[in-house]
Amino acid sequence: MKIIGENEITVDASFAKEIQKHCGENVNLCYQCRKCAAGCPNRQFMDFTPTELMRYVQLGMFDEALKKNTAWFCVSCQTCTARCPQDIDIARVIDAIRMIADERRLVADAGNVRVLNRLWMIMLRFMGRMYEVGLVGTFNMVTGKPFNDMALGKKMILKGKLKFIPSIKMPFTMMKMFSRAKKIKERKKANS
Amino acid sequence: MKIGYYPGCSLHSTGIEYDISTRKACQVLGIELDEIKDWICCGSSPAHHCDELLSVALPVKNLSLAEKGGLKDICAPCASCYSMLKDAQLKMTDDQTRKDVEEVIAADAPGDIEVLHALDMFVDRCGYDAIAEKVVKKLDGINVACYYGCLMTRPPKVTGKTNFENPTAMEELIETLGAETVDWNLKTFCCGASFAITNLDVVLELTKKILVDAQASGANAIAVGCPLCHANLDGRQIQINQKYGTDFNIPIFYFTELMGIAFGVEPKELAVAKHITEVEDFLQERSLL
Repeated sequence: MKIIGENEITVDASFAKEIQKHCGENVNLCYQCRKCAAGCPNRQFMDFTPTELMRYVQLGMFDEALKKNTAWFCVSCQTCTARCPQDIDIARVIDAIRMIADERRLVADAGNVRVLNRLWMIMLRFMGRMYEVGLVGTFNMVTGKPFNDMALGKKMILKGKLKFIPSIKMPFTMMKMFSRAKKIKERKKANS
Repeated sequence: MKIGYYPGCSLHSTGIEYDISTRKACQVLGIELDEIKDWICCGSSPAHHCDELLSVALPVKNLSLAEKGGLKDICAPCASCYSMLKDAQLKMTDDQTRKDVEEVIAADAPGDIEVLHALDMFVDRCGYDAIAEKVVKKLDGINVACYYGCLMTRPPKVTGKTNFENPTAMEELIETLGAETVDWNLKTFCCGASFAITNLDVVLELTKKILVDAQASGANAIAVGCPLCHANLDGRQIQINQKYGTDFNIPIFYFTELMGIAFGVEPKELAVAKHITEVEDFLQERSLL
């Protein structure tokens, strides 16, 4: 535990404001009841609980919230969101935290979640549909574990569960949609 | 009854049994599924992880394609697709989001379309009585733990479910088919979903908890309504046994497969042989194969 002196304690409200701008959720409504921590199925893998994460956002402790693994180990199961007595969409706040970390290009303890997200979105942009074999194959290559999950993969092939030929849907429409979305994002950033 | 169909990417690949069995069950019940032409991926978790706008625009594009095809209701059997479509509809009530999304899809936002999970479709549109009428083979000797996972019921603001902590629609449906259901704790617990790719330990731990609880509650099979839940519960049992020294060999069925079997559809036609944890012996012992 880090001991800090009374005079060092400050509150930076800009983080909570940034989150609110991103997703419309007001983190300051959180009164630390710990219901989200109690229900979180993935708590045991996290550096700290979702309740603590909410407090870090309230206090403006950017490093703890953005770089530690809690936000990145959220499985988006929506248990916290469903149970929050203050009706905060906590899972959405966590999505916003992940997006802010991405925008700032921060190095974070994210496992390989970011890699998967990025590959997925790239694939979607050019193919329109998810190509599972291609996604997992590329992911394994990028993360340096080309033989990851080979045993299960082999079984799935034998059972005819994998589709090897991707179905490509409206690639030009998709690319246009993605670039228009990017433009809107940039426009908003410039306006603020 | 004609209903639009949005299978989603998984149902064309790892969740192919779910696609086959949903179509078969619909055929028996007289529901005509009309697949949305040229549907695209809903974006799933990666979209809402890293792009607020696209996570709404991608599902809305599909709704717009459905509207073009003259569809009023859409059935999305995949819990994640279902959640993304419903969530997008909710977010579209915000004026700014609506404007941005319309710009992205370069079209007006689609009008009212009802999005149904496959379970909702069978329960709300057909009803238990109509389902009971079609049962020709009672599923004797199967004690089912009905597993809903996360997104079929949560968050209630999106799904509109009031009993999201303890849903019972699947239990009633399964009992209509002549099987028994068990009362258990983890029916809405998370299986770890896509962490199977990024961090397998998470999935093994969470899935193990679900299997332990189902077995301790007296279940000899688990019914699911999501291709990712199925992939984890069905496909990871060997790895769980290796890691934790357990001895799981629990058949995991899509609830639509159980409907198909009870309706007298040949299990072969339902492609139950594609399961990783094999179910043939289990069905044979109960003379259902």
